[in-house]
Parts: sequence; C-alpha cells; structure tokens
Amino acid sequence: MRINSKLYRVLLGLFIGLLSIKSHAALNVFACEPEWKALIEILGKERVDVVSATNAFQDPHYIEARPSLIVKLRRADFLICTGADLEIGWLPLLLKKSGNQKVLPSQLGHFMASDFVKRLEVPHRHDRSDGDVHAAGNPHVHLDPQRLLLIATELKNRLTQVEPEHERFYEDNYQAFKTRWLSNMDRWKQKTKPLMSKEFIVYHRNWSYLFDWLSLKELADLEPKPGVPPNSRYLTALLSKTDSTQAKGILVSNYQNPKAAHWLSERTALPVITLPFTVGANDDVQTLEGLFDAIIDQLLTNGEK
Amino acid sequence: MTSGFALAMAGASACANEFNPDISLVLDGTYKSQDTALQNSEKGFSLGHTELTIEAPVDDLFHGRLSAVLEDHEGETEINMEEAFLETTALPYGLHVKAGRFLSGIGYLNGRHTHEDDFSERPAVYRALLGSHYFDDGINASILMPTDVYWTISAEAFDGKQMSGQSHDESVGVYTLSTKVGGDFNTENSWQVGASYLHNRLTELENEEEEHEDEHDHGHDDHAGHSHDVEYQGKHLYMLDAVWKWAPNGNAKEEQLKLTAEYLLAKDPNQYATSDDFQQGWYFSSSYKFQPEWTVSARVGQVDLSEAHGDHFHQQKLDEANLALTWSRSHFSLIRMMYTHQSSDDFDNDGSALSLQYQMTLGAHGAHQF
Repeated sequence: MRINSKLYRVLLGLFIGLLSIKSHAALNVFACEPEWKALIEILGKERVDVVSATNAFQDPHYIEARPSLIVKLRRADFLICTGADLEIGWLPLLLKKSGNQKVLPSQLGHFMASDFVKRLEVPHRHDRSDGDVHAAGNPHVHLDPQRLLLIATELKNRLTQVEPEHERFYEDNYQAFKTRWLSNMDRWKQKTKPLMSKEFIVYHRNWSYLFDWLSLKELADLEPKPGVPPNSRYLTALLSKTDSTQAKGILVSNYQNPKAAHWLSERTALPVITLPFTVGANDDVQTLEGLFDAIIDQLLTNGEK
Repeated sequence: MTSGFALAMAGASACANEFNPDISLVLDGTYKSQDTALQNSEKGFSLGHTELTIEAPVDDLFHGRLSAVLEDHEGETEINMEEAFLETTALPYGLHVKAGRFLSGIGYLNGRHTHEDDFSERPAVYRALLGSHYFDDGINASILMPTDVYWTISAEAFDGKQMSGQSHDESVGVYTLSTKVGGDFNTENSWQVGASYLHNRLTELENEEEEHEDEHDHGHDDHAGHSHDVEYQGKHLYMLDAVWKWAPNGNAKEEQLKLTAEYLLAKDPNQYATSDDFQQGWYFSSSYKFQPEWTVSARVGQVDLSEAHGDHFHQQKLDEANLALTWSRSHFSLIRMMYTHQSSDDFDNDGSALSLQYQMTLGAHGAHQF
C-alpha cells in the first residue's frame, strides 16, 4: 500500500511536471515565407519556435508540397502565411495532408497576413489570357512598411487571443517594435526623397507595394503577363516601345533568373539592380529592418545618378 | 499613421468566391503515328482524358470531389465517373478517411492524375497491371504517424469491379495496404519511398466467368484504352516505389530534376497458375526542367507477363523506352512531343511511335502532390 501511494505520488509529480513543461513550451509556428518568420519572432521572441517553409532563394509561387513540409505543418500550433492565393499551389495540399485542426482556415492558428491590408492590383476581370493573375490582388504586401506595421498589430492581437495569459508579453514586444519601426520609417522616407517619382523596369509585380509606399513608378515589366517568363520577342518589342532613358534601372529579385534583365541591360545601358526580396537573401539581410535598409541602399546607389 | 488606416482591411472579405466550388476542365488530345502494344491512345487523332472536376469543402469536417471523364469509344461518347468521394479534413491523431470512388493510393503514380505526368502514357507495367490507374468504389483510412520523418500508413477496401471488369458476389473484392516515408536530404534534395500490397480476391472468380465467354481473354489489345479493368492480374500484387527530386536552392521554378522508379510483382494470376506464372515489371524515369517552360523526360521500362488462357498461360514480354519534350506556357497549358520505342516477345503491335499531345486546364488548378 505504501509503495503504491509512493508510486502514485511519483506519477502525479511526473504528470504535473509534464503539464508545466507543456505550458512553458514555445508555440510551434509554421511560416510560409521568411518575412513572416522574422515578424513573428519579433513579437513572440523566446515564446515562439518558428520554421519557415521557404527560403529567400525560392519563388514562393512554386513550392512543392514536400513530405518534410507536411510533417512540419502537422506539428504546428500556428500558421502564418501571405495568403491572397500566393501559396495556392502547395498550402491547401499541406493543410489537407497534415490534418492539423489547429491551423485550418477559420481557426485562431490560421493567419493570412494579406487578409488584413488593402491589396493593390485586384483585377476587375478574371481572365487567364491576362496571365496568372491572383483574383485576390497582388499578394506581395510585406514590402510596404506601413502595411507591415498593420499586419504586426493584427498578429499581436491574434497571438494574444491564442495565448491570453501572455497578453502583457506580446503587447510589450509589439510596442517596442512599433516605436523602432516608426522611427525607421521616418528615416527611410527621408533617405528616399530623391527617389520620388523615379521610374524602374521590373521583373514580375514583386515591388508594387514598395513602389506604392515610396511613390516610385513602374515603367515596364519583363514578364509579358504575370507568371509567364520573359521571351526574346516580347523583350525586343519592349526595347523598341519603351523610352528606357527615363528609367533608373531594372529590378530583379535575388531568387529570379537575371538573364532577361541582363539582355535588356546590355541594350539600354540601364543597370540591373538585384534586390533582396525577403529576409535571408544575403548576410546583410537577416532582419526586416536590414531588408528595407538593403533595398533602399541599392535603389539609392543607382537611382540618384 | 492616418494613411495607414486606409490600408487596413477586414479579414473576412479576403476571398469572395470561396463559397463556389472549384471547377476545372482538362482538355486532352493526341496525335499518334503508330499503334503500340498495351496502348492508351490509338493511331491518328484522338481525344484523351477530357476531365471535368468539381470540388469544394462541404463543411468544416468534409471535403467533396467529383471527377467525370468523357471518353470517345467507337464514335460514342462515354461518361465515366473516375472519382466521386468525400474525405475528412479534421480528424485527430493524423487520421484521414476517404469514401466513395477514388484513385487507390498504391504506388507512386497510381494516386496521381494522368495530367500531372511527364509522359503521354503511363509506364507499360501500369498499363498492364493497373489499367493505367486503378480506381474503384471503397474506403481508405490513413494515418500520418507522429514521427519527425514523414511516414504514412494507409489501408483500403474496394469493391473490385474496376479491377476485374465484372460484377461479382464478394462484398469486398480488393484490399490494399501501403506505406510511404519521405523527407528532405537537404534544401536541394528531397525523397520519398513507398511499399504497397494489393490483395485481389477476384482472380479465380473472373476465370470461372471467362470460361463461359471465351473470346474475352483474347485480343486484349483491341480495346485497350477504353476499359479500365486490368488486363493482367494477380492475387497478390507487391509494389515498391522511390522518387528523388533536386532543384538548385530548392527553387523548382527555374530548374528541377525528378527521378522516379517503381517495381511491381503480381503473383497467382488464377487457380491454375504455377510459381512460374506471374506478372512483373518496372520503370525508371527522369525528367529535367531546364527552363521554366521546358521539360525533357526519358523513361525505360519492362514487363514480363503471363496471359491467362483458361488453364494455361502465354508468356509475354515488352520493353519500352520513351523520350518526351514538354513545353508549358503556364501552369495551365502544355504541349508535348513523345517518342516511344517498343520491342517485345509475343505482342502483335509493338513498334515505334511519335505522338503529339496537348493538355489544357480551364478553371481551377489544384495543387500537385510531391
């Protein structure tokens, strides 16, 4: 009898121990893209354990629903993605295969960043002859710091809903981020004044939100239609139609093939400006702040000429 | 931050048309220079798998899908239901149940739709032993194991009518059991291996019926491509599959290499079979996307078959090699040229053929499996 009660106490102790480990355990987060990993780590610090499904060298439109991603999503308590159909080619399948109720749409653990901001380029007509246009508009919302701050606010609210007991923690982290971010935004705006209304040739509509924020202009797109790779016939037409002397450069993301941009660059003498598209693109770009610093510095080096 | 307020948006209005089911139509057509053994598409111009699919979440627990295939058979259009199933979306413990008519999850290719393939026809071993892709009425229960490496186990029970091509008295004609393991080797390399077993209880039953309609087991090639029932059977079907994918930095948009191999062995074709009478085959395929729009694929394969003629068997053998070049303007369209070379023992129309195929997807385009 004594042994039994001792065993009982040991087991109870173990059980309580396990429970407390669980309550101190971090929130497992599955981020679709590195920018959301960076953002949720700012707000959640040591309380979140984040994996990113993609890295800065991968085109987030074209990811395979790999077995490893299914396993990672199965373990997640929280899912943070861009949404607006950016991940339509792989996320629905991951959600189905992982069977994780916590991160299904309509659950608290399902957070689509672009749901919370006004999106640009929402098409008036849905016709595939216009290319692979997203019916929900341009999904690349993270490149506007104002929208990013709005998303951070919503994310903080959501995390507080998921873990009400840690409201103070998330609020403090958010306020610290907001103060720093607002002063960064002032600094970036000051710095980029000489760029205002300058024109650039782009490759895919990756930069629309950045342009919207900095009042830059898109002179032409290397893609004939969204999602259709550049071809020589289209580029030749573009070369003859476009007054490239107005442009300051050709923007490509670090994950894109720069061949088409170099082709045009050789014929127009416009510089090819390779910009980091998200966090992790190179050693200098390891934070969201670093991402905007790097983008702006790159644009200034070429745009002021 | 006053301007910021105008940038905010209520979350609910994100996708206005999510209440509509996803509808997709696949148009598929082929021109083929010659007939080939165990073929899916015939010489000349022909329509392939014209497939209409409707799918949507039913509620928070179920997802439904219907896939109807229109096929032309001797001037008449047939509508075949290939898929009509419900599946669960939110069961605990990694469980997943599917019921209705659906593609069996055995092997690597079988559970995939033919329009995801890199070739115009399935490997010869699939055409012979599985009718290109085996689907049937039944139920599937699978579990995603709580392990660090991807591991699924899945069991199925089917009516078996689509396997035998005949009605029968058994309540469950076919059972399957399969497992898959997969993961990333590193950022650039991913892999998956699988093993499956299919138990066919209808091999003896069909043989009894065949004795009454003897013409049925001769001249199989004549109606290949129209009936989905399996031509070469086995009571026990064992399958092994492996796939390896590589992309620089894991970015499959610009460049990707895919290697796939499968081995199938079907034993005990019927009650007269000795241990020498079995079906077996394999294929090895590689596809290389060398530009966003272009993929070149090569495949070799072989089948050794025992064609049942009542109580004795005819041994047959077919070697096949394919070379395909696919141009894909967008996710939604592809045009493919494929060269097929066959050599065989005891097949009438083995030979070489050149085929030209188009495949166009209208409407929604579902995500592809790994």
